[in-house]
Amino acid sequence: MSIIKVRGLKKNFGALTVLDGVGLDVEEGECIAIIGGSGCGKSVFLRCLELLEKPDAGSIVIDGREITAAGADVDLIRRSMGMVYQRFNLFQHLNVLENLILAPTMLLKMPRAEAITKAEELLSTVGLLSKKFSMPAVLSGGQQQRIAICRSLMMEPKIMLFDEPTSALDPTMVGEVLAVIRMLTKRNLTMLIVTHEMKFAREVSSRVLFFAEHGIYDQGTPEEIFDAPQKPLTVSFINRLKYFHYEITEREFDLIAMQNEIELFGEKYGLSTMEINPIQVCCEEFLMVMLERGYAAGEPIEIAIDIAYSEAERRTEIVFESRGREFNPLAAEIDEDNLDDLGLLMLTRLTQAHEYEYVDGLNRMKFIL
Amino acid sequence: MSDALYNILIKGGSWQTILSGLGVTVQISALSLLFGTILGAAVCFLRLSDNKIASTVARIYISIVRGSPVLMLLMLLFYGVFAGSGLKPLTVAVVTFSLHTAAHVAELIRASVLALDAGQVEAARTLGFSKLQAFRLVALPQIVRIAKPVYQSTVVNLIQWTSVVGYVTITDLTRVINNTASRTMEPMLTITIGMLIYLSISYMVYGLFALTERREVTVDEHH
Repeated sequence: MSIIKVRGLKKNFGALTVLDGVGLDVEEGECIAIIGGSGCGKSVFLRCLELLEKPDAGSIVIDGREITAAGADVDLIRRSMGMVYQRFNLFQHLNVLENLILAPTMLLKMPRAEAITKAEELLSTVGLLSKKFSMPAVLSGGQQQRIAICRSLMMEPKIMLFDEPTSALDPTMVGEVLAVIRMLTKRNLTMLIVTHEMKFAREVSSRVLFFAEHGIYDQGTPEEIFDAPQKPLTVSFINRLKYFHYEITEREFDLIAMQNEIELFGEKYGLSTMEINPIQVCCEEFLMVMLERGYAAGEPIEIAIDIAYSEAERRTEIVFESRGREFNPLAAEIDEDNLDDLGLLMLTRLTQAHEYEYVDGLNRMKFIL
Repeated sequence: MSDALYNILIKGGSWQTILSGLGVTVQISALSLLFGTILGAAVCFLRLSDNKIASTVARIYISIVRGSPVLMLLMLLFYGVFAGSGLKPLTVAVVTFSLHTAAHVAELIRASVLALDAGQVEAARTLGFSKLQAFRLVALPQIVRIAKPVYQSTVVNLIQWTSVVGYVTITDLTRVINNTASRTMEPMLTITIGMLIYLSISYMVYGLFALTERREVTVDEHH
């Protein structure tokens, strides 16, 4: 029997239709990733399951009980579903331990000592036992989110809903939260995760729902959706490229800042350090050669870097456009023993291919990684 | 100096008069604070309600009361609205200051409610708490905490504002001090003493609030 059963769900905000005729069956233990563009109703759908948004039509049955029915004990049904929010929503007036034990002691009448023991066990599994007496405000976003997950787990829910759990986090903290969610997939919980982390969605989910046009436009296994999308909107969503743009107008540009931005860009789209590093090296080496040999001293410098990353193909393309005299750094023979040519050597080794052209005073060099 | 002090404080049971004046001031303040806070919460409820009419009425009430001197309101009620009603001046004063405090408290609560993060209440609801439980356990403690410093000033201000009740024949602390100053012909010293009494009441209020500052700890290092 399906643990979540949605039929004909409809939700409008005024004249705006967000969801229309959504139907879904979720089996126990499934881990479902919900993806889609902004404003496609993914979050609203999740909030409807918790009845935080009141549907305009349709029915939602959670574990055999219809939450949308008139007179349904919504508070009771909600106990079997944990919800994790983008903004953590920890109770700011309570410390970490109090945040965790509040619901079980009040609602499940769990003895205090037992609740504290359980809370401490959960905190240690997410590595935050040492923070048990901290107030939420002093914790980082990643820590707060891990605690918010624990707070939900204290109620022993059968279902966990995640509403963009890493969207409000610094890229450096995304990993720690995703690791905790990944850990939960081994607990036989039923999970629905609204996320923009495609790499994560592919890894953890058993089914992917792609939301578009007021509902579930497409669904399938991660392989079906990410590797071989069929329907047109899915194809364009999955294959869309991610862009990064940077301009350099002076010899003494801020290299560190640029490298940092590239790193943030890469992390945002789930690239590993092993993948980000070559991009950074490639940019740095090319710029050094260009500034050294492509421009004479005092000449105005105008270089634009465009990085395009295709999530589907996991392929990166870097395009350098520099205005000035014609100069192709890779035209001449590279002398492997000459230290001055080391940068060029690295460029050719790191990249799979390159193309060069010179049009209207613009050098255009494209690398494919 | 000691003669003057004797005249002001002791002679002819003067201290008793001062004490009863103080009593009147405290009585008006305390009752007005009690009724004003309850009424203020109600006004705030209307102000925040989805009902357009209710919220507009509450808004007009708040802006009129907050935008005019409390003495005007007192005179309006005493010489106008309740003239010939047979209500005691003290009752009219309590009504006046309750209405006045209510407007300030309503705005104070509203600001605190708006400062509260609605997401926390939502989180409580999804854990399975009822609307009332979520309010009591999550919203209220935080509203109280946000409102406390401003509420403290409201209380102290209220006590000072009551010093105008002498205009409607009530013998409060200010009135007693004024009378004593005339009687003893020692205005400098008498009024200074009066101010010191008001000052000490204010500090007692601050002290009371400071006592409640200690966080109600439920789980800490000593559990």
